[in-house]
Amino acid sequence: MVDTATDQGRSIAEMDDELLPVPKHRLHGPKHFLGLYGAEHVAATEFVIGAAFVAMGASIQDILLGLLIGNTLAAMSFWLITAPIAVKTRLSLYTYIEYHLGDLTSRIYNGANVLIFAAISAAMITVSATAVRVLFDIPPQIYPYPSNLAFAAIAASASVIAVVVAYYGFNVVAEFATICTPWLMVMFTAGGMVLIPALNETLTGYTTLASFSEFVNLAGATVFTGINAEGKPGIGLVEVIGFAWAANTFAHFGLVDMAMLRYAKKSVYGLCTATGMMFGHYVAWISAALMGAATASMMKLSIAVVSPGDVAYYALGATGFVIVIIAGWTTANPNLYRAGLAAQAVFPKVPRQKVTLAVGAVVVVGSCFPFIYRQILPILAYAGLVLVPIGGIVFAEQHLFPRLGLKSNWHRLKGLKDNKPALITWAICLVFGFGLNATGILYFVYLFLPTWMVAIVCYTVLAKAAGAGESYPEAEQREQEFNRKVEEYHARLAATETHVPVKDTSTLTKGIRAVWILVGLVVPAVLAWRVLFNSPDLYAYYVNREMFYSVTIWCTLIYFVFAWWDLQRSKAMQRGDHASTGPMQAAPAM
Amino acid sequence: MKTTRITSMPIACLALSTIFSAAMADTITIATVDNGDMVRMQGLTEHFTKANPDITVEWVTLDENTLRQRATTDIATGGGQFDVVTIGTYEASIWAARDWLVPLDDLPGGYDIGDLLPSIRAGLSYDGVLYAAPFYGESSFTMYRTDLFEEAGLEMPEEPTWDFIKEAASALTDREQGISGVCLRGKAGWGENMALVTSMANSFGAKWFDMNWQPQLDSEAWNNALTTYAELLSKYGPVDASSRGYQENLALFQQGQCAIWIDATAAGQFVMNEDSTVADSVGFAMAPDNGLGKRANWLWAWALAIPTSTDRQESAKKFVAWATSKDYLALVAETDGWASVPPGTRKSLYENPEYQKVPFAAMTLASIEAADPTAPTVEEVPYTGVQFVAFPEFTGIATAVGQQFANVLEDAATIEDALKNSQWVTEKQMVRVEMLNR
Repeated sequence: MVDTATDQGRSIAEMDDELLPVPKHRLHGPKHFLGLYGAEHVAATEFVIGAAFVAMGASIQDILLGLLIGNTLAAMSFWLITAPIAVKTRLSLYTYIEYHLGDLTSRIYNGANVLIFAAISAAMITVSATAVRVLFDIPPQIYPYPSNLAFAAIAASASVIAVVVAYYGFNVVAEFATICTPWLMVMFTAGGMVLIPALNETLTGYTTLASFSEFVNLAGATVFTGINAEGKPGIGLVEVIGFAWAANTFAHFGLVDMAMLRYAKKSVYGLCTATGMMFGHYVAWISAALMGAATASMMKLSIAVVSPGDVAYYALGATGFVIVIIAGWTTANPNLYRAGLAAQAVFPKVPRQKVTLAVGAVVVVGSCFPFIYRQILPILAYAGLVLVPIGGIVFAEQHLFPRLGLKSNWHRLKGLKDNKPALITWAICLVFGFGLNATGILYFVYLFLPTWMVAIVCYTVLAKAAGAGESYPEAEQREQEFNRKVEEYHARLAATETHVPVKDTSTLTKGIRAVWILVGLVVPAVLAWRVLFNSPDLYAYYVNREMFYSVTIWCTLIYFVFAWWDLQRSKAMQRGDHASTGPMQAAPAM
Repeated sequence: MKTTRITSMPIACLALSTIFSAAMADTITIATVDNGDMVRMQGLTEHFTKANPDITVEWVTLDENTLRQRATTDIATGGGQFDVVTIGTYEASIWAARDWLVPLDDLPGGYDIGDLLPSIRAGLSYDGVLYAAPFYGESSFTMYRTDLFEEAGLEMPEEPTWDFIKEAASALTDREQGISGVCLRGKAGWGENMALVTSMANSFGAKWFDMNWQPQLDSEAWNNALTTYAELLSKYGPVDASSRGYQENLALFQQGQCAIWIDATAAGQFVMNEDSTVADSVGFAMAPDNGLGKRANWLWAWALAIPTSTDRQESAKKFVAWATSKDYLALVAETDGWASVPPGTRKSLYENPEYQKVPFAAMTLASIEAADPTAPTVEEVPYTGVQFVAFPEFTGIATAVGQQFANVLEDAATIEDALKNSQWVTEKQMVRVEMLNR
């Protein structure tokens, strides 16, 4: 093997960007992450999770306080655990595992990801199908299994389309997803506002609420009653905190979000995840629960079985179909993509088409079963438990090893194919975590904490025994050389890439933005406000609600047309395509 | 010593058998609302458990909204938490259509299903099959002050017309004495003014929907019904009529401030009890009609149903059969007297000479028999229910319409506007209902 500097430089340039640390000129400021996390955590899952808290019998006080504490803990976990490692290594977790934890660990990890992402994708497609089923005259699906062949056919068809789109048009859907966030936030909030008067009327006979305490009383009496579906006292404050904290365990303690936070200039930007936590996992969950309870009350059904499609339709009219389909697909799309990539990593020798087809088949079958989307919260919590030991291992390598005089990259330095201490640690943690679960000593949402700690301790001990404390001068020199080459490559890259974003200040762009902000977002918000605060009786409520329904669907259409136009102009400008976008003034990004 | 052994054997066997049967007992859980009839039933349950030592009974008493929420969740998720639930005629056909209820056409213990009043049975059936066994039934009728009628030289026909009611109300209204000629429910709500107005509209040939489920509230028949209703209350009704429902009108009648009151047959016992200042001068007649063959009387029943989610179907059936049987009515009569017997479910009760002595019994029976939930109005309609239309979203729609009608009483809307708005809101909501339930 020839190892000249020139050849090494060429091979680095030819390497997939994903396998290299993120170059400095591609790093982002806090604004990027505020938007990114706001988008990531307002998804179709929120419809389901909101209703799940109702079915589990949380009380309103526990919800208001517990979600606040739990989501704060989640944001702090991103800040204190995920972001520092992401900023230090500048690698995605997948690359990190491949480099440091060995081939087999990487394959098993990717295998677990296939299952988890396929389940999430299937759940999201089922959610979309619950909206579509109405258009095809299919009865509501109230059982864990498909009770209607036509529904199974709809869900399966939607899955096939979603798989094909994720395979061939991932970028278009991903791009489209980026413009959905502000609209999703407004619609989730508006949906709750629109159905509160109807919910209140079923309880008190009145459609108006005079104060926040009346809202708390209403939510406490009808939605978060403290009694679960079995009629027994439901989950308490500690459990609510745990669910909120554990809903994204795989992302923070499990370090999956290193993929995003590796682009952060500073690790403190981990706190920007709070937009997702405090809106998507607080306002949207509560709003979704209110919507679900109101819909169940109107349809004389149980919130445990009322479908997201029905909920959205009652809350938002025709726009409800749009939100469920868009929220479902934009969530399913990246997860399908991730599942496909993970599957390819597991079976690198099998042709990509075959692997994608196999993953797609699993998703198609899974999407026919409403059970999966209704159980999404426990699925996410257990997924976190499976993946969190890897987070513990990486945490140990990056934070503990330097303090103990151990080499963080000992496995790479030693040149081993597999990292046996990592594999053994993971196996021990799974036995420990699920064993602890079987004993019932600890509520399952908190199992990730002791499991994570066991992973740190086990791996530290095993890695030390396997040679993490030894010296590998030659390999270390090679590593330093490699890092230097990467830095040089990044420097060359920085010189050729536009890294000062330009700001579009043209009148046309301002006009386009004004349209999607005012018509697409402000008008529906004002109309929802009117439904909530200006409906003195049920008749007035219906009048206001119909107005909201009728106008909002057009606002939605206008929003997407103008927001998409805005996005394309912005992209064209970033490419320097000034001719198509007219005169603009370049300005540094804030 | 031998004697002692012989005597102790049966005692030991009995004790063992009691312990064994208690251990093997099938426990059924009954979800119920907190009303007088159900409280009485709970008190009498020991009679059932004595006759059925292999079954124990647990009661879960809830308010109506909570009961509906808990029961629907339990049934929809197949929880099996409740083995028997208390439901009304409104829920019976909706739940039966969703396959949530066990058919009750084979109740054990010589349950005389043919003895049930046909209209009550029809109101609790779906596709001709009984899905809930009634323990209480009611209709509506006309209660009036015999003394005032006598003073005015009027005679209430057994089957009055709306024209007569108007004429009598006009003659009997005495604002100086604080007497209203007629009291009717005016408070907005699907179970308040809309129960009366829908029943009244039936007698005018009006209907909520035609055979294609198109709302018909802008029809002439509805206009005639609402005009009569508004005229009666605005000219001869109590002040603030739009704020008065069942309880408020009952209080007015008991205090002698209503000459005529058209409301639930269940009110019969209250206008004649010790709380009523006019107890000795109350007469009863059928609800009015308009010469079109339908009277303005509604139909309601509370019933016991068995969710399909139960694992104890046979024991539940035994309990339902007992609690809604002729023997149970006799048991209540024996323990609490005939006045306490839950009315309106069985023909045999009204054939009993003792019960016939109750002054409003015959008129209650006639009223219930006159109501037909499968053919509530003059023309054929696609729905069941007399004062309601049995689909889930009806309650919200009817309350919104009821507010429009209350506005008419408050001079806040004309009859034409109220009906136009009612038609609009019903059309709009039906689009959503059809979209989600088709």
